[in-house]
Amino acid sequence: MLRRNVRLRKEYLYRKNLEGDERQLYEKKRKIREALQEGKPIPTELRNEEAKLRQEIDLEDQNTAVPRSHIDDEYANATENDPKILLTTSRNPSAPLIRFTKELKFVFPNSQRINRGGQVISEIIETARSHDFTDVILVHEHRGVPDGLIISHLPFGPTAYFGLLNVVTRHDIQDKKAIGHMPEQYPHLIFNNFTTQMGKRVGNILKHIFPAPKPDARRIVTFANQSDYISFRNHVYDKGEGGPKSIELKEIGPRFELRLYQVKLGTVEQNEAEIEWVIRPYMNTAKKRQFIGE
Amino acid sequence: MAIVKDSGFEALEKLKSTEPPVFLAPSSKSEEARAASQHLFEKLKPYNPKSPFDELLVDGFDAEQIWQQIDMQSQPLLSSLRQEVNRFAKNPEEIRKLGNLTLKVSQKDDVDEMDMDGSESGDDELEANESEGEEEEDEEDEDEDGDEDEEEKNGDNEGIEDEFFKIKELEEFLEDGEAEEYGIDYKNKKGVAKKKKQNLRDDDDEEDDEEDEDDEFGAFAGGDDEEADKLGKAKYTDFFGGKKKETKVKWKDLSEDEAEFENDQGDVKLSTHEKERVKLQSKIEQMEKANLDPKHWTMQGEITAAKRPKNSALEVDLDFEHNARPAPVITEEVTASLEDLIKSRIIEARFDDVQRAPSMPTKAKREAKEMDESKSKKGLAEVYEDEYVRTANPAFAPTTFSDELKKEASMLFKNLCLKLDALSHFHFTPKPVIEEMSIQTNVPAIAMEEVAPVAVSDATMLAPEEIFSGKGDIKDESELTQEERKRRRAKKKRKFKAESAKEPVKKARDATTGSEGL
Repeated sequence: MLRRNVRLRKEYLYRKNLEGDERQLYEKKRKIREALQEGKPIPTELRNEEAKLRQEIDLEDQNTAVPRSHIDDEYANATENDPKILLTTSRNPSAPLIRFTKELKFVFPNSQRINRGGQVISEIIETARSHDFTDVILVHEHRGVPDGLIISHLPFGPTAYFGLLNVVTRHDIQDKKAIGHMPEQYPHLIFNNFTTQMGKRVGNILKHIFPAPKPDARRIVTFANQSDYISFRNHVYDKGEGGPKSIELKEIGPRFELRLYQVKLGTVEQNEAEIEWVIRPYMNTAKKRQFIGE
Repeated sequence: MAIVKDSGFEALEKLKSTEPPVFLAPSSKSEEARAASQHLFEKLKPYNPKSPFDELLVDGFDAEQIWQQIDMQSQPLLSSLRQEVNRFAKNPEEIRKLGNLTLKVSQKDDVDEMDMDGSESGDDELEANESEGEEEEDEEDEDEDGDEDEEEKNGDNEGIEDEFFKIKELEEFLEDGEAEEYGIDYKNKKGVAKKKKQNLRDDDDEEDDEEDEDDEFGAFAGGDDEEADKLGKAKYTDFFGGKKKETKVKWKDLSEDEAEFENDQGDVKLSTHEKERVKLQSKIEQMEKANLDPKHWTMQGEITAAKRPKNSALEVDLDFEHNARPAPVITEEVTASLEDLIKSRIIEARFDDVQRAPSMPTKAKREAKEMDESKSKKGLAEVYEDEYVRTANPAFAPTTFSDELKKEASMLFKNLCLKLDALSHFHFTPKPVIEEMSIQTNVPAIAMEEVAPVAVSDATMLAPEEIFSGKGDIKDESELTQEERKRRRAKKKRKFKAESAKEPVKKARDATTGSEGL
């Protein structure tokens, strides 16, 4: 098992390294294809390799035309099986944090919560891998208020670190009857304003925590991005009385704002993993730049 | 008294001769200082009618108390001085009288006067720095008078004059010229010129002023008497000099008022330039002092909390840029907008769900052959028999299931090839004839819904040959001759006999086989 893991990781890294060359090749082929389509002369830098590349273009089919990246590799099997999530907290969690984690268990379908106890992170990840979990989610807190969320995709997948703000848990809302039960249907997902490259990456990470829903599902989970702050909302909808155009939304579940501050190309326990993206708040232009949307 | 006076004077002289730094620390000079101060007090007493003390009480008193006594002296003096000043302001001639007075008195009285002048400016100089004060006062007095003269002449001309150009010299030159032209008395001119020259010298050398002053005042005094005689030969200076005196007085007024509280060496009359300079000086001193002091903590660069006073950061208005965008405040509007977005998405049914990718089959499914589990109908002997027959005599063997399937397959393939050939080849290849056996009934080929009765229709499925295949002449019964009829009847009889002969033979054969089997 250990050796197998090591080998798989090496393969993954190797393919990630090759990606750069493949991408270059893809770009060249794309240029030639465009030039041929528009009837323009082929760019001069590709003159030498043009014949060989043209041959390859002719022989391409659907799968080989698109360059595969390690990101595809990470989520290659995600669409085939439902995700299996392991939820846990930081050490010595307070009661409010445990309550919040229990709420999250209902938010993410097909998830399990375990007590943290005194386990080391690497142990947790190992057991999760061996039990075929696809994701591990850690929740951190500050004096009872949840303030951190770490989503780690398991077979050496990416890890996204979020900060939580403006958290409103179901426990905060005292009126239990108004809230009612939390349905455990597989929800529909809405992602709004995830337009940049980084935004799409984050959207992907968040998307693959959820399984494929049925078309008539009544539950909606929304991730709406506004100036790099992602709002998480959980609703249940019903067709209203006023015809097909009226919808009655009822908010259930916790609501919070997520603020991405790091994406690593490895699991949580791999400290030396490459950092794909990290927030830079003290840069002079930090106010003007938006990394996830618009 | 005289002895005391002398000792006091001696003490003064001694103090004069000591080094100034000695005064800074308490020393043996204190006795001498006390004696000197007593002496001075007595000197001043005649000029101070309202003083509360008859003599300065020195024995057993400390510096503070002696100082207080002297201080108390000066209070009534100030008011009387003010009165004097006002008097002088109104009557400038009285100053000349005063000037005359100064001419007559001895050196000592001069000293007294200077002391008085010193006391005018304040009592700072008397106690510790008497010798210095004396010297200073000498100079100051000279300065004062010199300044008087300066202001007298230079009041209006400060901006234009410098060491090369003097208005006085210009005027002198002009008057010389006029004198030459108009032949005015040289003596008077001389006197005036001399006076002027003396005045000019005053501008440059303030040290020699005393004598010049005296001469000046003498000249003024003299000039007053002669003025009446010289009306016809009046000079510009007579008029304008007077004017300038008035302005001088004005200046004096201003400077007196302003200079009362000035510390500058007891000098009361200051020109505007001097005043500005004084102000600048004080400003400069202030700034220098501020520079030397340690800076305020906000100006010290990086400061930790330990280095600044407690809670001082709360008082200062700290200003720095926050580079991070602040967290969004979730108001009702925000929530409403989010919900609108969600509703619109639901109505459009536009979700960003995870799409299940249809999985491509890695291998073709293995065909599961269904085994027929019923008992085989053929016995084993028959199975062997069939196999033997197939190998020995392939023509007679009954076709197996797979054979039939194969036949079917080959038939289908032939059909297909035929169609493909028809499509692809240029030369026409007709359809091959496949002989099939089927029973055709003589049903009319056309079944029409017709008004005419069915019997009218003649169309049949069978060809005429199939309906009747006959050879030779076919005659109807009515057309037959007698012989023909007989012939037909005989044919019929023969046929019938032949058939009836077979049957019993068959029956007999059957019966015999049955009996043989037994």
